[in-house]
Amino acid sequence: MTLSQQFLAAATLTFVSAVVQALLALKSGAWKQGRMQLVLMALGFALQTGFIYLRGQEVGQCPMKSLSDILVFIAWSIVLLYFLVGSGYRLSLLGLFTSPLVSIMQIMALVGGFAPYKPKGQVNALIELHAAVALIAYAAFALACITGVMYLVQERMLKRHKIGGLFYQLPPIQGLAGAIQRLVRLGLLLLSISLGISFALHTPVSNPKLIFSWVVWALYALITVLMWKHVTSPRRTAWLAVIGFILPFISLWIVTHA
Amino acid sequence: MPEPTANRRGLVCVGLNYKTTPVEVRERLAFPEAHVPQAVQQVRGLPGFEESVVLSTCNRVELYAAHSLPSGDHGHAALRDYLVTHFKLQPEHAEALVLYNLDSTEAARHLFRVVSGLDSMVLGETEIFGQVKAAYKVALDTGTTSRALNKLFQQAFTVGKKVRNETTIQRGSTSVGSVAVDLAEKVHDLKECRVMLVGAGEMSRTCAQSLLSRGAKSVIVSNRSYDKAVELAAEMKGTALKFDEWESVLHEVDVIISSTSAPHFVIKPEQIEQVMRKRRWNPLLLIDIAVPRDVDPVVNEIEGVYLYDIDALQAIADDGRRERERQLVACERIIEEQLEKYGFLQSPGSTQHGFVTS
Repeated sequence: MTLSQQFLAAATLTFVSAVVQALLALKSGAWKQGRMQLVLMALGFALQTGFIYLRGQEVGQCPMKSLSDILVFIAWSIVLLYFLVGSGYRLSLLGLFTSPLVSIMQIMALVGGFAPYKPKGQVNALIELHAAVALIAYAAFALACITGVMYLVQERMLKRHKIGGLFYQLPPIQGLAGAIQRLVRLGLLLLSISLGISFALHTPVSNPKLIFSWVVWALYALITVLMWKHVTSPRRTAWLAVIGFILPFISLWIVTHA
Repeated sequence: MPEPTANRRGLVCVGLNYKTTPVEVRERLAFPEAHVPQAVQQVRGLPGFEESVVLSTCNRVELYAAHSLPSGDHGHAALRDYLVTHFKLQPEHAEALVLYNLDSTEAARHLFRVVSGLDSMVLGETEIFGQVKAAYKVALDTGTTSRALNKLFQQAFTVGKKVRNETTIQRGSTSVGSVAVDLAEKVHDLKECRVMLVGAGEMSRTCAQSLLSRGAKSVIVSNRSYDKAVELAAEMKGTALKFDEWESVLHEVDVIISSTSAPHFVIKPEQIEQVMRKRRWNPLLLIDIAVPRDVDPVVNEIEGVYLYDIDALQAIADDGRRERERQLVACERIIEEQLEKYGFLQSPGSTQHGFVTS
């Protein structure tokens, strides 16, 4: 196991322990948005960053050329947005939903392995930027998906009069509905920037990647319009944010295998 | 070797609360807020007394004191006499007065339980923490506390915080009013929340007041008797509405509390479906306190609408009470650990045992 992979394994263990800690606390009924959760998330993020830096040194470019690298980069972006968006929208229990997703993504990356690769010719900064911004956009869609799950859980508890446990930790559903909208808009904006950069690229970007990115863009543009025009209820919007994330998730395979 | 009582302070607590004394007596023995500074000085001025704190709330009157009397019994008797004299109780009332007399460890345990909300009428309530803090501050500012009580009260505040942080004793709602607030908080940002009362019953008034006290933005009152609506609206700084007009503002409010005496459903699904279209899916919380019910239960099936009737609210409040009771054991364990940590549970032969060396 290389040093970079040791960093990733340590980061994954940290996120798994964040999940375990939160689940144990929930089970005992004493869940609070504890400092421990925040510390574990911050430590995991630092270790992820260490992995990305070391992996970048190994492959001589921003590590985003294999599926495993992309999974880790998206997981890193999700945790980054967790700190940026989490505090902004005060989604106090976001960590409980974020850390399992991040753990799963990193375990998949570790199992998949990290094949060595070298840059084909000189590294083009615009291509690197295009890819990095697109992946952060996908992370925003992933967070919208997680927030959608939180909305659906809270909504179900309110409808069925099941008050207790998670109920007290989740934000108001109105706030969650707003957070989904903001995250989808943020992801759409970032993906638009990424696709905008692709027009300026001299290095050709293979067509299937671009086509699929445009399909993802179109999906989230449609969700944004539906939300903006209040065509669908927040519950359906939450479902769209959850199910819609399947498309960018599939696109990762297409992007890495095209 | 110093004399046992020469340079040590004993700790006593004498008090009465809602468990020992009916409200008719408690209200006669309560210290008005403005008189507390004078009371703490009077207690400290009693022979043999060196420090004092007076806690007086609607549910309890307690005198905490550090003394250098030969025994706790002397302290209890002196404080009892003080209460009888201060409130000019007739001999028959003085005779009937039931007080709890606590010494050192028991006094500390009692204070720790009080601060943690375990001795409150509503188990786990948090208001008492602030009330004890205020009582202590009055004594501190008046200069009637010193090392013994300063240490005891600081320890009590630490224990109170620990109990609340490490257990869920304060979680959940135990009354219909607080359930309504919890639900409203999980649907909307309360600061932006507009409330409408359809019918002006006592229970809906309590719910609305709970919501307003927690920051709800505004309240509209609609009642068959317009005068009563105006009266209640004025009391809550809200707006009164004639009963035949309440439907016209349904789409503008976020929480509806209904408590009319109508024998049939007043709020029907077709009305709410129209309202939800106007509200652009902004969620709506309906609290139906009326019996027979005012709101057709089918309304709960509409997307974005959350309906709770009195049985649902009561069931949640009951769950909340049971959940708090389940936490009691954990809370008591924390208190015992802290009593041990602070030296209140040392063996009788120990030099400290609840006494503070001066």
